[in-house]
Amino acid sequence: MIDSSIKTVEIKNIKEECKNIKTFTFNSERFEMKSNLQKPKPGQFVMIWVPGVDEVPMSISGVDDGNWKITVKNVGECTNKLHELEVGDYIGIKGPYGNYFSFPDNTSAKIILVAGGFGTAPLKFLAKEMLKNKYNFTLIQGARNQEDILFLEDLEQFDQNYSEMVFCTDDGSFGYEGFSTQQLEKIITKISIKEMKTTYVYTCGPEKMMYRVFEICEQFDIPLQASLERMMRCGCGLCGLCAIDPLGLLVCKDGPVFDSNQLRAMDDFGKFKRDFTGKKIPID
Amino acid sequence: MLEVKISRLELSSPIILASGFLGISSSSMKRIINAGAGAVTSKSIGPKPRKGYKNPSIFEILPGTFINSVGLANPGIDEFINELNEMKIHNIPIIVSLFGETIDSYRKVALKAENAGACAVELNISCPHAEVSSIGINPDLTYSLVKKIKKALSIPIFVKLNPNVTSITEIAQAAERGGADAVVAINTLAAMVIDINTKRPILSHGSGGLSGKSIHPIAIKKVYDLYKVLKIPIIGCGGVSSYKDAIEFFLAGATAIQIGTALYQGIELITQINEDLNNYLKRMGYESITELTGVSHNFKLQEVPDF
Repeated sequence: MIDSSIKTVEIKNIKEECKNIKTFTFNSERFEMKSNLQKPKPGQFVMIWVPGVDEVPMSISGVDDGNWKITVKNVGECTNKLHELEVGDYIGIKGPYGNYFSFPDNTSAKIILVAGGFGTAPLKFLAKEMLKNKYNFTLIQGARNQEDILFLEDLEQFDQNYSEMVFCTDDGSFGYEGFSTQQLEKIITKISIKEMKTTYVYTCGPEKMMYRVFEICEQFDIPLQASLERMMRCGCGLCGLCAIDPLGLLVCKDGPVFDSNQLRAMDDFGKFKRDFTGKKIPID
Repeated sequence: MLEVKISRLELSSPIILASGFLGISSSSMKRIINAGAGAVTSKSIGPKPRKGYKNPSIFEILPGTFINSVGLANPGIDEFINELNEMKIHNIPIIVSLFGETIDSYRKVALKAENAGACAVELNISCPHAEVSSIGINPDLTYSLVKKIKKALSIPIFVKLNPNVTSITEIAQAAERGGADAVVAINTLAAMVIDINTKRPILSHGSGGLSGKSIHPIAIKKVYDLYKVLKIPIIGCGGVSSYKDAIEFFLAGATAIQIGTALYQGIELITQINEDLNNYLKRMGYESITELTGVSHNFKLQEVPDF
């Protein structure tokens, strides 16, 4: 059973990935042993408590033995304070929560990962696991500009026999100019009809981008797994803030990873989320 | 076998979703009904939108026991009416939990809820970490509030009781005198958790309310005591995570039960409890769960110790 207590852990390492984005590493070994805490899988998330500020959901960007990593963009009060913390400071963790990306049965499947902004974090974790399991994949990373490209050092070390990296930026300062969804279309249109039957797409990033990825996949009848984000209080199926209409699927428990069938059934996908009062508001 | 009647409200199962859990969207509440609940209770709705307390606001402190301090976050009754309309279309029996800043604002919210199709209202006079708790600790205020709402509404009125008082029976009797159709016992118990590494209280508000497994025996005792003094039905609430916990509430004097915290295990738990309740009743030779209400009171207990 999931342990939903808040455990404070020391930050072991902080890496500056690019302007405004840092990766924090903390060790969870003693909790894993004590409470049968499961090692996080790609797609899962933790609630991160920045003491005295707030607690927010963050997807896990890597796991190395008992060391868990989160990659955080400085976008608001809580993440701003997190960015000010130093090695040795405490943060609280709750989780890991949610489901995770599932792999195709066949390692020879054609796999495309479409990442937008710091949505690249869980997909890098997924890509690493895919490499371990000898899957072939293409990772498309879209960013605003060269400065925002993530994990370049890590990604360059990936075995090129199995992985292909495609970069694109809004301003063309790195890789192709334009959106990751355009690169996805380009790749898909080159795939043979036979190969299309064993093609799988995974995505994480801004929801409008993911919605476009979904439309493209629907057009070509390619199964998709998308990782969604919503406001949450609990992370474990109690507060209801992350419910998606009309089926009431919970991002924290039924997700955050949803497949094409579930995405198709959602009225809210790409359109609405709930704010902290519980009111439905448009996604920008 | 599982049908129950609370005041004029007829439910297909005695399991009601407790307030504060998933009760913000019609889609989640529809899921709860489909899983087999007899009714759902909304999150407490007030006169206007409220963000509540920041996170951390909900976490587990012992297996199955949680602490929370959400601070009555809600979208406000005018916004929530959209969800109520949606539920009306799907015929979902919804009890609207509500609060106000004044007795009159309680009344306004209650009227809007009734007009939008609520099958009952549950007056939250007991949230242990918000201002409204002041009503639930005072019998006179409780009486006045309930009386005023009773006069304004035609649907049943439930009153959710605060366990953080010297005498819960006194407050409950005041609610009964005011015209309450049922009481819900109990709300969460005032509690706090301090982290030993950072040395600060973990909840953003510091104090919160305890719910789940460990409050169940406390809730049983309160229901047992209430049953002795009340004529109106009691809805048992606190730590139900299996059919056994639910049966215990009936034996102590409840007519129905609420479930909340245990849903972290999944909504399917409700389906399981219904099934297990049916099996228990068959095994024990009962035709209806209502036969169990108050049965534990038939036993004579030792009142004075042996000397």
